[in-house]
Amino acid sequence: MKFMKFAAAAATSLVLLANAAQAAEEKPVVGLIMKSLANEFFQNMLEGAKAHEAMRGDYELRAVGMQNETDFESQINAVENFITQGVDAIVVAPADSRAMVRPLKKAMQAGIVVVNFDVALDEEVKQQQGVELAFVGPDNRGGAKMAGDVLGEKLGKDGKVVIIEGNPGADNGIQRALGFEDSVKQYELNLIESRTAHWETEEANTVFSNMLTAHPDIQGVMAANDSMAIGVVKALESAGRDDILVVGFDNIDAVGPMIEDGRMLATVDQFGQDMAANAIDMALEVVRGGPELEGWVKTPIKLVVAE
Amino acid sequence: MAATPVSVAPAPDPQEAFLNVEGVRKYFGGVKALDGVSFSLVKGEAHALVGENGAGKSTLIKILSGVYPYDAGDIFLGGAAYKPANPHEAKESGIQVVHQEFNLLDHLSIAENISIERLPKTRYGLLDKAEMNRRAREALDAIGLSDIDVRSPVSSLGIAHRQLVEIARALQSKSQILILDEPTATLTERETKRLFEIVENIKAEGVTIVFVSHHLDEVFALCDRVTVFRNGKTIATDQIADMTPEKVVQRMVGRHLEAQMTDATKEQCYGEVALKVVDMCTAANSKDKGISFDLRYGEILGIAGLVGAGRTEILRGIFGIDPIRSGSVYRDGKEVRFKGPKDAIVSGIGFVTEDRKDEGLILDMPIAANVSLVNLMEVATSGIIQFAAENKQAREGGARLKLKYGKTADPASSLSGGNQQKVVLAKWLARNPKVLLLDEPTRGVDVGAKAEIYSILKDLAREGVALLVVSSEMPELMTLADRILVLAEHEVQGELQRNEFSEENILKLAYGQHQ
Amino acid sequence: MTTQTSGDVAQEPRRVTLRSVLNNAGIGLALLALILFFAVFTEHFLTPNNITNILTQITINLILAVGMTFVILIGGIDLSVGSVMAFAAVVAGKAITLPGFGPVEAIALAIVAATLIGVLCGMFNGVISAYWSLPSFIITLGMLNIARGAALHVSDAQTIYSFPLAFEDFGSAMIYGVPVVFMVAVVLVLIAWFILNFTVFGRLLYGIGNNEEAVRLAGHSVYWYKVAAFTICGLTAGIAAVVYMARLNISSPIAGIGFELNAIAAVIIGGTSLSGGRGSVIGTLLGAFIIGVLANGLILIGLSDFMRQMITGVVIIIAVVLDYYRAKYTAS
Repeated sequence: MKFMKFAAAAATSLVLLANAAQAAEEKPVVGLIMKSLANEFFQNMLEGAKAHEAMRGDYELRAVGMQNETDFESQINAVENFITQGVDAIVVAPADSRAMVRPLKKAMQAGIVVVNFDVALDEEVKQQQGVELAFVGPDNRGGAKMAGDVLGEKLGKDGKVVIIEGNPGADNGIQRALGFEDSVKQYELNLIESRTAHWETEEANTVFSNMLTAHPDIQGVMAANDSMAIGVVKALESAGRDDILVVGFDNIDAVGPMIEDGRMLATVDQFGQDMAANAIDMALEVVRGGPELEGWVKTPIKLVVAE
Repeated sequence: MAATPVSVAPAPDPQEAFLNVEGVRKYFGGVKALDGVSFSLVKGEAHALVGENGAGKSTLIKILSGVYPYDAGDIFLGGAAYKPANPHEAKESGIQVVHQEFNLLDHLSIAENISIERLPKTRYGLLDKAEMNRRAREALDAIGLSDIDVRSPVSSLGIAHRQLVEIARALQSKSQILILDEPTATLTERETKRLFEIVENIKAEGVTIVFVSHHLDEVFALCDRVTVFRNGKTIATDQIADMTPEKVVQRMVGRHLEAQMTDATKEQCYGEVALKVVDMCTAANSKDKGISFDLRYGEILGIAGLVGAGRTEILRGIFGIDPIRSGSVYRDGKEVRFKGPKDAIVSGIGFVTEDRKDEGLILDMPIAANVSLVNLMEVATSGIIQFAAENKQAREGGARLKLKYGKTADPASSLSGGNQQKVVLAKWLARNPKVLLLDEPTRGVDVGAKAEIYSILKDLAREGVALLVVSSEMPELMTLADRILVLAEHEVQGELQRNEFSEENILKLAYGQHQ
Repeated sequence: MTTQTSGDVAQEPRRVTLRSVLNNAGIGLALLALILFFAVFTEHFLTPNNITNILTQITINLILAVGMTFVILIGGIDLSVGSVMAFAAVVAGKAITLPGFGPVEAIALAIVAATLIGVLCGMFNGVISAYWSLPSFIITLGMLNIARGAALHVSDAQTIYSFPLAFEDFGSAMIYGVPVVFMVAVVLVLIAWFILNFTVFGRLLYGIGNNEEAVRLAGHSVYWYKVAAFTICGLTAGIAAVVYMARLNISSPIAGIGFELNAIAAVIIGGTSLSGGRGSVIGTLLGAFIIGVLANGLILIGLSDFMRQMITGVVIIIAVVLDYYRAKYTAS
């Protein structure tokens, strides 16, 4: 009882403080909603956004992450809290491309500028709800295809490849797997197997070791993120194989040396650090009276290979 | 003293008997719990059931209330055969029990507790709270408890009121027979008086009361007739008006009173005081006055009393298991304060607990492991168990106690009750205790093993060990003990020397019937 | 003096072992059946390389399961081992990448850091749950979050990498095709087996799991034994962290998610009772093998990920049901 009262009082005073701050400084407030901050990628993105806020200095950033990849309820709560706080813009990387449509529609109806980045909201649900909302983000599928193409070119027709997928059901994981499959089709590669390792190094190590035992003639591996690619590289090292090519995605720091010495063939950088910052820039443009965003605003992606 | 009945109800006519119990027998495995129980109830009477612990009263109540089936004999209720398959059927037949232990759900409201067996529902199948509260109100008013809010949780009530809520619950559905099992065990004198008034009122409405109590003065104050149980049999049913408490006690213990007296004349010479307890109050004892006694080396001191008199608590207090509220314990003349069993064991005390299965043995583990449990360090070198030494210890302990077993590696659960108890004894004897506390040392033990355990304990005393024995079996105490302290309600009611030993004397003190 | 004792000194210790072997025979047979099945239905299962793979792959789970056996034997559970492993790994990762140390010092520092973190987390679990007699389920669930959060905090959610080469060599070293890290795990199993079967400490852990009150009344400090069991479990999480780092040459703060459940499964499949007091670390070894062989073999057979998960679940349930009947059989 006491605790609840205290919490209520604290919440009220926070809202008051927030309003007071807004009135005093007149700076626009941007709410940033990200996925799991336990994920290196989003952690980097948050760092990037904070640096961006300090650099521009003409807006106030409020960032919210979540417990884990599947906890999309906390994202919905975050949207509702931002509506209550009356922020000027919400910049969101949805954890679920369907569940987030309705709360975001509410935000738009409340006059808040909403920018959807990283993962696109589901087109069908958007139409159903009558929401028109642009997507700012990288082309995961296209990016994966860039990495896959490098592999395809090296191996040529009938090259035997496997895919290590991300979490089943995760949108970026699905898109990347589709991109890899596009490469497989284009270069007429032979896709032997496709298995998940839940984005995780140790599991990728185990799963790939076993795939390699079943199919010792594998020639190439496409991993949906770099953490899993590291696990694959370690499995190759302990199997004593240096004839198998590996591509990954994300360009995390740890794979830099591997690309350099050839243990990995390629990875893709989608500039995660800048992605949130870019989306915030676009949101602020609209807040200042700029034109509404439309369709898919693609953010830059870059293939990383050894120099 | 309380020999005159308060009630002046007319002598009930046996013809009106509407519950007849005839030659009922009940076995648990090979153990006879009821060995021919017969009595009858007359409409509107208050009928007392008395007897020693284990005489069969509780078993009979459980049969009447549908908890256990009976194996032989007949029960007729209103002329028809009565064989309830479960407690629900018994309730349907109008037999309600208020148990000794509470069956209330502490965190639910009084109203919910009273209606728990048949919660009222609304048309939509939801709980009808208004109706539930109304019924509860009615039930409480009926026993004169109009000052209690039915919506407050049971946990907010005192013990006496909880008892009354139980009664209200039992009476809520129209009952023919209300069985009260030790209803006053936890009540103060004033609360007891209140309860009795309510019971008188219920009785006046034609409900038959079955009253189970250890307190003979209550039996004489409340009841019309009394049936005495002994060893699973009913001895006799009498009009209270024809009886005295002394006669009832005599019936309870049988006529062969002085039979067990053995070599009482032998002069004993005891050693120094091994254990001195001064004004010790255990946590269970809410009174100011504590327990005091001396125990000398070579002496066997018995502690008698009814269940709940606070006997086990004393042993647990001395051994450092439960904290002592006040008072002090001296070991070899020095005051000690044991923080736990470890300290007590270090000072040379052993404790053979009442409950073999929960406190004494590790049933699934080998006999050898059980025997070595207290002094593992003696059969181990730098923390590593020497199995040869452990087995030797078990075999020696077994031989000393005439333990019958297969291999020392067999689990303790493979042994009979008597042999399990010997393993518990062996565990403590392996440590050569100076003072041995024993709680019900022969419970669930067959006659042959009993005699063996008695002779082991007497040998120990002869070797100079000080023994403190708690037992509910009076013949046991009279066989073993040099002196008996009789407790009632956490107080020493009296001390009996060997030449004063008799079941009658013990019971009189235990029931608070001071001479 | 007439007694009916058999009194055969020499035979008794051997009988104890024989019985424990018989107790484990069921699991051993199940493992054998699995191995036969995969050997017949897949091409590569019994190849030396694949056997090496399986040994590598079960190592971490086996190490965690050894510690878990101690906790489950006293009737507790430790849900935090996966997170504690990650926490220990990132702290050790920070330590090993500190500038200014030679490779040997850095590795030693990392090992000390990882085991220390493990021991401290385990001790915390033990002290809190034993002192207040709280269910270890809840306390270690709390620790699961504390350690995971701490791992993310310390590492800033970044993967730590570039460890000394010698460390990597240790992680991938083999002797006659047997990974050295697996040998480490087997040594831990043997130590645990010795402790549980031959020491006063082990005996009392079994005693506590069976009948805590009897052990307490026999004058033993149940509290310290419980704390010790949880501390050992934490220690194995620290050791698992070292093995993880050596094998993969990184420290990831999201390592070990769900590892606690695999470790518990290995212990339970190995015949240790969740209510405590009954079981053996040899059973745990077999249980870890069953899980590892299953994971490996089902991939070799080409079963989809989702089917694989379902079958693993079914095997756990079958193991527990079989254990129920075994317990009933031994009791009668």
